[in-house]
Amino acid sequence: MKHRSIIVLVGIAALSLTACTTTAGDGGSPTGGATGGGRSGDNTNVALVLGTSGSPFYEAMACGAKAEAEKLGLTLEVSAAAQFAADAQVPVVNAVTASKPAVAAVVPTDAQALQAPLESLVQTGAKLITVDQTLADPSIVDSAIVTDNVEGGKMAAQEINTLIGGQGKVLVVTQPPGSTAQDQRVEGFETELATYPGIEYLGPQYASNDPQKVSQIITATLSAHPDLAAVFATNDQGAIGAITGLQQANKTGEVKLVAYDAATAEVDGLKNGAIQALIAQNPNEEGVVAMQTAKALIDGEEVEKDIVTDLVVVRAGENDKADKYEYKANC
Amino acid sequence: MRLTDESPKAVVPEAAEQSLSERWRERLGGGWILLLLVVLLAVFTILRPAQFATPFNLSTLATDAAILLVVAIGQAFVIMTAGIDLSVGSVLVFSSVTSALTMLALSGESTATYGQTDASWGVIAIGLVVAVVSGLAWGLINGLLVSRTRIPALIVTLGTMGMALGAAQVITNGQDVRGIPALLVTWVGSGQLAGIPVLILVAVVVAVVAAVALNKTRFGTWTLATGSNEEAARRSGVKVRAQLLKVYALSGALAGLAGMMAIARFSTTTIGGHTQDNLATISAVVLGGTSLFGGVGTILGTVIGVFIPVILLNGFIILGIPPFWQTIAMGAVLVVAVYIDQMKRKKKTLS
Repeated sequence: MKHRSIIVLVGIAALSLTACTTTAGDGGSPTGGATGGGRSGDNTNVALVLGTSGSPFYEAMACGAKAEAEKLGLTLEVSAAAQFAADAQVPVVNAVTASKPAVAAVVPTDAQALQAPLESLVQTGAKLITVDQTLADPSIVDSAIVTDNVEGGKMAAQEINTLIGGQGKVLVVTQPPGSTAQDQRVEGFETELATYPGIEYLGPQYASNDPQKVSQIITATLSAHPDLAAVFATNDQGAIGAITGLQQANKTGEVKLVAYDAATAEVDGLKNGAIQALIAQNPNEEGVVAMQTAKALIDGEEVEKDIVTDLVVVRAGENDKADKYEYKANC
Repeated sequence: MRLTDESPKAVVPEAAEQSLSERWRERLGGGWILLLLVVLLAVFTILRPAQFATPFNLSTLATDAAILLVVAIGQAFVIMTAGIDLSVGSVLVFSSVTSALTMLALSGESTATYGQTDASWGVIAIGLVVAVVSGLAWGLINGLLVSRTRIPALIVTLGTMGMALGAAQVITNGQDVRGIPALLVTWVGSGQLAGIPVLILVAVVVAVVAAVALNKTRFGTWTLATGSNEEAARRSGVKVRAQLLKVYALSGALAGLAGMMAIARFSTTTIGGHTQDNLATISAVVLGGTSLFGGVGTILGTVIGVFIPVILLNGFIILGIPPFWQTIAMGAVLVVAVYIDQMKRKKKTLS
């Protein structure tokens, strides 16, 4: 017992000592603002904060950004939280703010919760680019790189209408409400679907990035509606689950499947007939554009406030196109 | 596992003469986690003095830890009784939702409000009560089930984890509540008192009260006694059932308070988040030297246990180490912590 309290005391002393030195150290270099520790000259440090680590979409974005940053002579550091959630991402953004980059490109996981942390980032003098997702108050953002998710949802509805000849029951599997991008895809899909009188819309079912649950939703829906004509999955995890569910019910190809994104599993599904069409984004290109915008901001050039990157439909049989747009983390 | 052959901590006599190696082992066992914290701080400070060791970074670090710390303290009491509370993250979300909706309703704005409302401090006080009571209610459910039925705590709280999150989703239809009082966000979420962020002050107060309760009150003694040997505690007059109920209720209430802190900080509810809070707090408590088998634990250890992953994450990002490595490092630290915990227990059982 006695020894333990001594150790604790020594520890506390050491801790306060560290705290003192750190304060003194910071006071000693009041000009520290723009130039990072141990780095000299112009600040070309760029930070990229992804939505989550380990997602093919964001890894592909990181690959595009890394390649472009090297080309442009930027020092890029990529970081991400382990989950796509605001409470996990805020500490990551705070650490990035502390590392004092010249420009930060961030995928905000929540339009409102990330507002305050990103305001502190901007207050350090850093330029801010948002990628893929947006903020509630974009006035602090120098440039927002977005895709039109509403338009993507509409494209999915058009594909489904063509595939099922304008007749039949349609189901959507998506994330629980709250993710702007997914919500907008559903919104666009529903708006467009409402213009097709022959289609009966069964509504959305929710699964949070859980293919197992999506698979259950599909099989359960097929029990209730054996004449289900088509499914729209709003992301890759939904598509993987839907493929499994349709296989299990022996309905692959019979029930048409249109999915957002072009993860490897989805491209495989397209090639082997499990998926009839993909609405593909171009994350690699988003990463490239983010770095080009960052470079322009460092050079003090004017940048566009909103940059919309393109969406493409990849249909069954278009294997070369599928390979081109596949979300690849090949770097 | 071997609950029976374990001697209560208080009666282990201090060895009169110890060999040098024994002393070192005890030191490593006692204060090693604090050493690890100091080493981490020192290493990151030396490597990136102008970025890591800035007042801004240290204060955001502590703010990042504050909410988890409040939850972890409740978890620590539960684990000291040899129990576990997996529901904390969901209870946090549930409490933040009930509180946010109450404050929104009282401020007279519609549920579709996006951004901040001009609710008064009175409304915020009611919101705080709602948050804590909501958490307390789930805590009481956990406590009743754990103490009155033979359902293991792991299963009880796994069940309420799903129920609390599901209930939060039902109430809100899955949509985060966006209209949060501006006063709460400005003065509590990002506010400071005497230069210290308010969220940190709240966490410090909770930690100090918890440390006093654990070390100076019957509540603390009974908590440790219950975890050390439930049957022995019962025979020596500890009201074990009531104690378990109180401990789970405390964990729930603290998760509720943390829910209030979370809406102040994020200026929105975060229904999709906090899925890892239960595991994060359990690792923090175990890292801090509290035994999963109950009967042993400190609040200071828990505080340090919360800070280690937060500092690792922050330091790794500032150093530019790829995100996956942080996950690996945290896992490794946890395993080593439990190994040392086992070593300590083996030694004590032998003596």
